[in-house]
Formats: sequence, C-alpha cells, structure tokens
Amino acid sequence: MAPVNLSHRRTHNLLLISKLLSLRDTASPLTLLQDSLEQPATPLIKEYIRRAKLSKVHVTFIAFETLKKPDGVDAFVSTRRKSPADIAKEVAAAYQPAATGPSRHPGFHLPSFLGSFIASTGPSAGKADASLVVTWHQDVPALPQQNHYSPSPLPVLTYLATSIITLHSFSHILAQKAARDRSLAAPVFGLEEEQDGVLLGRLDKLAGTGAAEGIVLELEHRRKSGRGVLEWYLLPPASQYSPQHVKEVVTLLDDNVLYNPPMEPDTNPDDDEPKSTFELGLTDRQRRDREGVVLPYFDAQHGDGPGEGGRILYDMGEEDDFDEEEDEI
Amino acid sequence: MSFRKRNIGLSAGVDRAAVPNASTQPAPLESSPGIRPSPDDGRPTTSTGAPSLDNLLAGHAGLPMGKLLLIEENGTTDFAGALLRYYAAEGVVQEQKIHVVGVPEQWGRSLPGLIGTAESLDEKRSDKRKDEKMKIAWRYERLGEFGAGVAGSRDVPNPTPAGEQETTAKPAFCHAFDLTKRLTHPGITNMSFIPLVPSRESPFTSILKQLQTSISSSASNTMHRIVIPSLLNPTIYPPNACQPEYVLQFFHSLKALLSANTARVTAMITLPLSLFPRSSGLVRWIELLSDGVIELCPFPHSADATATSGAATSVEEPPQGMLKTHRLPVLHERGGGSDQNVGQDWAFILSRRRFEIKPFSLPPADGDTEAQDASASSGMPKKSDLEF
Amino acid sequence: MPSQPPLPPLLTSYLSDQRESSLTLVSSILGATSNWLVLRYLYAALGTSSSSNISIGTDELSNGAKRKVVLVSFLRGWEFWRAEAKRLGLDLARLADKQQFAFVDGLSELFNSSSSASSAPINTGSTVRTTLPLRSQPGAVPGRGPPSAVTPGRPGTESLRQREPGAVKKLHFTGHGIAALDAMEKDVISEINRQKSSMTDGDEMLLILDQPDFLLAATGASMGVGATEMAEWVTGLQQQVHATVLTMAADSPLIHNASTSGNQLSTPIETEHAAFAIGMAHRAWSVMQLRTLETGAARDVSGVLRISRGGGWTAEAEDNLGERELLYYIQRDGGVRVFGRGES
Repeated sequence: MAPVNLSHRRTHNLLLISKLLSLRDTASPLTLLQDSLEQPATPLIKEYIRRAKLSKVHVTFIAFETLKKPDGVDAFVSTRRKSPADIAKEVAAAYQPAATGPSRHPGFHLPSFLGSFIASTGPSAGKADASLVVTWHQDVPALPQQNHYSPSPLPVLTYLATSIITLHSFSHILAQKAARDRSLAAPVFGLEEEQDGVLLGRLDKLAGTGAAEGIVLELEHRRKSGRGVLEWYLLPPASQYSPQHVKEVVTLLDDNVLYNPPMEPDTNPDDDEPKSTFELGLTDRQRRDREGVVLPYFDAQHGDGPGEGGRILYDMGEEDDFDEEEDEI
Repeated sequence: MSFRKRNIGLSAGVDRAAVPNASTQPAPLESSPGIRPSPDDGRPTTSTGAPSLDNLLAGHAGLPMGKLLLIEENGTTDFAGALLRYYAAEGVVQEQKIHVVGVPEQWGRSLPGLIGTAESLDEKRSDKRKDEKMKIAWRYERLGEFGAGVAGSRDVPNPTPAGEQETTAKPAFCHAFDLTKRLTHPGITNMSFIPLVPSRESPFTSILKQLQTSISSSASNTMHRIVIPSLLNPTIYPPNACQPEYVLQFFHSLKALLSANTARVTAMITLPLSLFPRSSGLVRWIELLSDGVIELCPFPHSADATATSGAATSVEEPPQGMLKTHRLPVLHERGGGSDQNVGQDWAFILSRRRFEIKPFSLPPADGDTEAQDASASSGMPKKSDLEF
Repeated sequence: MPSQPPLPPLLTSYLSDQRESSLTLVSSILGATSNWLVLRYLYAALGTSSSSNISIGTDELSNGAKRKVVLVSFLRGWEFWRAEAKRLGLDLARLADKQQFAFVDGLSELFNSSSSASSAPINTGSTVRTTLPLRSQPGAVPGRGPPSAVTPGRPGTESLRQREPGAVKKLHFTGHGIAALDAMEKDVISEINRQKSSMTDGDEMLLILDQPDFLLAATGASMGVGATEMAEWVTGLQQQVHATVLTMAADSPLIHNASTSGNQLSTPIETEHAAFAIGMAHRAWSVMQLRTLETGAARDVSGVLRISRGGGWTAEAEDNLGERELLYYIQRDGGVRVFGRGES
C-alpha cells in the first residue's frame, strides 16, 4: 500500500472512530458491540463512559445483567422482571437532559422483546438526539424462536445498526497473525477449542505474544451516503492513559509495531547478494572471460539440416575399444 | 496402552495395607448380611456380585451404600445386563430386598445360579494355577495373584486377616454365580417388580412412589437394591420417557431417595448407549446425576479378537471388550482423579462363572507375529526398498 | 503423605476476597467435580471462626466483621456437606446453630413434595447408632488420623442435632415457569433474611449456589423455564447478598453441541444450558474452570484449575486477579494440594 494512501486512511479513519466513541454529532444512532468471552465489551463500555464524562454527556445505563451501577453513569435502569414498555418509560424519564444512553443488552432476549425495545427506543432516541450502544454476546447460542419465520435477533440488530464493532483480544489477533504468516492453521481460543471443561481460554500471557495488551476493534460503519467503512483499530488498556486524557488513544491496528513490525532497515535493492566472508562476486574481466568460454558440444547445437542437430561429435580415444556391431557413431 | 509386567498385581499393595486397619475396627454393620465397612474409610459397602467390579470401585471394595452406579453399554450386546443379574442375584442371596423396574417377572427367573462364595471359587481357581504360581518369584508372589489388581478378590476384600480361623464362619460378602444355571433361593420370591404404568404424565412418577413407599414401610434393617435394566429402552419405556423433565427429575428424586436412606439402599442402572450416545447433553446429565459411571465397549467381533487381546498365554480367555470408568462413587464426589484405578485401560471378560475386569494391555510382541508382519509390510519400508 | 492446610496457599487470595456484588463461576465436568472447591470457599468464609469455636467462646474475627454463608445445593444433600466439611474441621451444624451458616436443600424434595424422608432419620440412626461411642471428640479434626477414625458419610452420627426443625430448608419446585422459580427464590431469600437479622455492619453474606443448572436441565421449556428465566432467578438472589459463587457443569456435550460451528442439531437441553452457562460467564467477575488432564489420568494429579477473568471483570486499581492455570491433587484424606505445572 502506498504510504500516501495509508496516511490519508489514518487521518480519516482515526477521526471517524474518535467521533464514534465520543458519540459526537450522533454519528451513529445505534452502535452494536459484538463481544465474546475471549474479549468482553466491558473495557470499551468504560471507554464510552469516560469520553461521555469528558464531553459532559448524560449517560443512561440500561442493565440487563449488571447489578451495580458503574462509575460515571448518570442514570441506572435495572430491567429485571420489567416489561419493555416499562423500561422504555423509565429510560425516557431518565434522559431529561437530552443525551446519550449506552445500554447493555444481553444476548438472550426474546426477539419480540428486542424488537419492541428497539422500536420504542428508536424514535425517542432520534427525538432526544441520543445514541444507543448495544452489547451482543456472540458466543451465547441463539435460542429457538417463537415465530420461526421472523428474522432472528442478531440479523435484526446488524441490519438496524449504523455501526458494528466486533471486539477481539489483541494477543489472540497476534497469535493468529503469527500462525498465518507461517501458513499454519490459526489457533482458536476458549469455547472454540471445544475442550471439555473449558469456557474461557484467555490467560494473561499467551506464549509468544509478549505484553500485548489492548482490544482490537473491528469497525463496520455505514454512512448515510450508503458507503461503508471497514477498519481495524487498537484500543490500549485503560491503565495506559489517564482518565482525563483528551487526545485520541485509539490507533490503527496496522500502525501497531507488534502487529505490523517495521521492515528491516536494510532494503537496498542493489545489494541482493548473500553476505559472506568469501568474495562471491566477479570482476568485469572475469565476467568477460566467462562469457568467452566455449562450452563442449557447442557446435552440435547448430544443426544445419534435419537430423543433424543434436549429433554427438566424438573422437575416439586410444583406450576406446570400437565394436562394429554395437557402436555406431 | 502399557506393556507392563503383567504378573504384578497393580492395586493390591494399597488395599492390603488398608485391610489391617479395617479389621481392627469392629464392624458395626456386621449384623446385616452382605454389608461390610470399606477398607478405605469405613463406610458401609455392599457387593455388586462381581468381585472384580467391587474392586474397581475406588478402594472401597464394594459399592458404598446410598450410591447409584450407572453402567453404559455400546452396541447391542448385553454384558451390562449380566452385571445387573449378578447384582440382583447377590442381593437375593444376601436376603436384601430387590426392586426391579420395568421388566416382567421372567427377568427374576433368569438370575444366575449360586455356586458358592466368591472365595471358594477363587480357591479352586488358584488350585488350578498351582504350577503356574511356583514359577512366580517369591517376592512378587506376595503382591497378589496373577492379575489380582481387580480380578482376584481372594485377599483384598476380606477384612479378616488371613489365617484367622473364622473365615469360614463369617457370612460371605460376595458370592459366585453361574450364568448357565438358574438361581433357586427362597429369597427370590421376595423380589418386587415395578411395572411401567402408561400415563400421560411422567412414566416415572408411579415407579418412584412405589419405591418410596416400599422402602419407607420396610423394617429399618432391611437392605434394598434398586435394579433398572436398560433405562429408556424404547421397547420398555414410552417415547416421552426420554424427555429431560421426566428422566432427569426421576434421577434427581432417586438420588434424593438414596441420600435420605443412605445406609440402606443402593441402585444399579444400565443404559443403552447406541440409542442415547454419550455425546448428548441428556446422557451427560444422567451421568452427572449418578455416583458412578462405567462404560462397556464390547469388541465388535469377540471371536477373532485375539489380535488385540490382552491374553498373554493361551490359558487365558481373550477379553470381550474395553471398560472405562468415567466416575467412581465417593472418589469423584470429593473431587476425583487420584485413584490408581482411574485412567487405567480395563478389559473385561465374561465367562460362565465370572465377570472379570483386568488391565488391558497389548499382547507381547512375540505372540503376535501376524500383526507384526502386517505392520512391517505396510508401515515400514523394507530394506530392499531403501537400497538402490 | 503430609496433611495439607485446609486452604491451599496458592488459592487463598482467590477464595477469600469476594468483591461486592460479584459473581464467581465455578465450572466442573464429569471427572472433575467442584465440591472440594466449594468446601474451600466455605472454609475461607467460615473457617477462622470455627477453629476458635473449639477453644470455646469467642467467635468474632479479629477485624470484627463476620462472614455468613448460605449454601443452596441441588445435587448433594446436607449429609454430604456436613461430613465433608467435618474433614476440613468445619462444624456446619454448629455454625448453623449460631446463624452463621444456612443450608438450603434442593435435593430431597425438589420434585416430589410427598414427605418420603420422614422415616429416614429414625432408620439411619438405628442402624448406625452403635458407632457413636467410637467417634473421637467432636472438636477434633477428622480425616487426619488413621482411616479407622474417619467415618465420613456415615449418616445419623449427629442426627439429634442436625434434625432440629427448621435447620434445613427444603426447596420445592411446584407449578410452572416463573411462578415456580419465584416461590423458590422466596424460600432462599427468607433463609438469607433470617441470617441477615443477626448481621451487624461490616458483615458480609456469601451465597453459594451449587449447580442451579440442574434445575434448568430438569425443567426446560415445557415447564416454562429457560436460560433467561434462570439468569433472572440468579440475579434476584444476587441482589440480596454481598457476593455469589455459582457452580455449573461445563461438559463438552452441554456447552459445545449448541455452538454454531457444530453440524449436528442441538437439543433444547444443550442450547439452554450453553446459553445459561456462557451468559453467566459473561457476568462473572472470575471463572474457575475445573477439568481433567488432557493427557490422561496421572497418579499425583487430580485435575487442572484454570482461573480466568470473567466478562464482568473490570480493571480497578486494587484488583489483582491474576489469571493462571494450576494443577491440583486430592489426597485420600481429603486434603488438597495445589501447585503449578512443573512443580510438585
């Protein structure tokens, strides 16, 4: 890829993720976070909340599986044993100061509930100039539906979402890339290992990945114009920057040193001979002499007539014993 | 697969060490026949009717009371059924109350005939082997009889120190049965057969109720054995029996029944794996609800199984299948895994007079020239192929 | 073999620090059960006060705060827990008397409420009563002596004390769906509240749910219970206590058959179980995964314990939940040795 192209992509796409994560200008009314046990969305949600705090945005947290109100959340709506309509009402009451509501959505709710939730929140979100962030656990198997003909919840969500962020663990991405570079089968982790008794494969240190911390975000953003943007980003762990940090912390995955190690500095194209203590090169004179050497049977290759080419010219030596019957020259 | 020296008893060492301890403890349950304290921790145990199966059960030398043993079998053979008959016959002989679920009374008439105590059979057996025994170096001999790891029960399960005179006077813990004979014992009429009542609800509700009433109404020193042959077999059970809410609730209630009458009841259940494979969630839950899980994998063609047999000499019968222990009573409830019998490859042999379980091993190289030739011709390139 | 301390040193920090409103998931499989770990959780919460019991009187911890535990068990009865805790030196019956511990029985009468067990105490007591004089003093630690002194699992040895009315609450599943779950929830919460009545400030309540996944498996959609309902049920209980420990089966057929990669059609029991288990792992602060060795059984290793951060884990300043994988070995006397790979 040409360097100019990359730098253009970098400026453009970093601006985009910054806009999305800070929920500026309702860049994405409905963001879908697809996480898994190997890389939960919790750190990204925290990052959303941190940025919302910095830009003084109101945060409503609709909790389907969280008990405790996370830090920095303005309104916390617990949903246990509540009907969708009640939840929508509570949420509407919570966002008086017209703002945004990152919510967590568990992966196992009935589609009817899901649909009505989106339908009821969608319009009000538009009115109130709010953005909705929804979490979907990819690894929770989809439960059978009541209505077999309606689309299942995940396609509905991905269809409706304006941007979809799929989360990956950086160390796993590195391990998979390392395998790919060697043309090996990519390793799998956690549930995909299909090993008895293993739910999570994530361990602090995976062999060979060093101190690869952070989350890889695979972003698919759909613009109003219809053009889509696909990009891979890296979000460093929260411990590496202060909560008040304003500048963009997310980088492109391609810019990461671990993922895309810089080329060897020694890339002079003229210098393509192997290094050795022996002089393997030829001087000009030697090269000229080499070209002057006449190879054996050189003449035989210039056959004049048919059947002549390829004839072997052979001079009998004294030790050769010529036999009329067998040998024919 | 191991090529270990086969004439060294594998687990006899520890069990032997435990025996003196057990015998110093005055067995409190001596009064009820067929019950004896476990050499491992003193809990009451009862025999499964197959001495080598008793010895497999995590050092307790019997099935601990209040536990449920699940025997799974692949294929259409009925080795598990034979084990179940031994278990029932042992119960009859020990005058325990037998509850058989789902099969007609003919099942009770097909129990194997009594031919004495397990010890007496072993005596005979070891007589036959006198010559062989002479060859065993003396220092190995005291480690136990040939293959005594689980197969032999002569020394191991008897809590009385060898040489004590009352061995014969004591009631036997385990008996030997002959599958070709039929059991004639006064206690056989005392078996109760619980039929399946067709119902729109769970077919197990009535079974459970009958078990509960008969156990709670019996005298407090009556021992019970619950025998459930071929659970969920569609020729016995209605199709809705395999609904998890029926069968799992039944297992759970059975477990509750066993734990409420911990000192008096044991249960043995067989399950056909061909119909209900182990890879299904339902079977896994049945296993999780059982205290012990043993899987039988019969060899497809027992007749010509000699190629993979564990028989070192022509004297021994070739094994008829593999036996896997997935879970053992008590041991796994505590966390599992540390027993020496776990993780071992077992083979089983069902003969007329015994169900024998012993370590499975590949045959020694010299006895298996055919297989060697086969592997040489296919796997390894010949020397002449390599030279050029 | 030397006897082991009740709490393996490597696990102490994981066992004793339960964060507020956190969920700890303990997953087990057929060949590697979780009971020993549950017992260690019990000991970590109750152990110190129990050992001071023996030297009569003072039952306060040094820092003044007391821990209380409510154990809800669906697969194992009171006898089992009492006997096994005794091997660790925990007298659960006494702790229950002192309102530090409560057992909720989800085994005996969960599905058949006809009281079948009524005759049990009398019977079991009579058959084994002869053993009573043989026992060592109640305060002594059993399981460390020669096997003759160990009589765990023997019923009725303390039948008089443990059968006090109301000592063991029994759960019943009657009815259908959420209503049935609600009734059970109420039963558990009433037990929690009974403990809470004697709580002072700073006390922490730990709730241990032993295999609630069984409830899901044995009821299913036809009885109106699914993964969602079970998860809600757990949430309802979680709200009442300081921290929750939940054990669950993670056998391959129950988890992986439902995954999308598998070709075969999964049965509802597998799908619901996988959804429940994985959903719980997403909520959990930490996940303790037990499994057997992949390389087959070994004589000095019972299994592998992998400690991972769950989906609900968040990096916080004072937290240092290190992820690691350890081996454990359960000795015949019930002691547990925990060590890293390559160590012994």
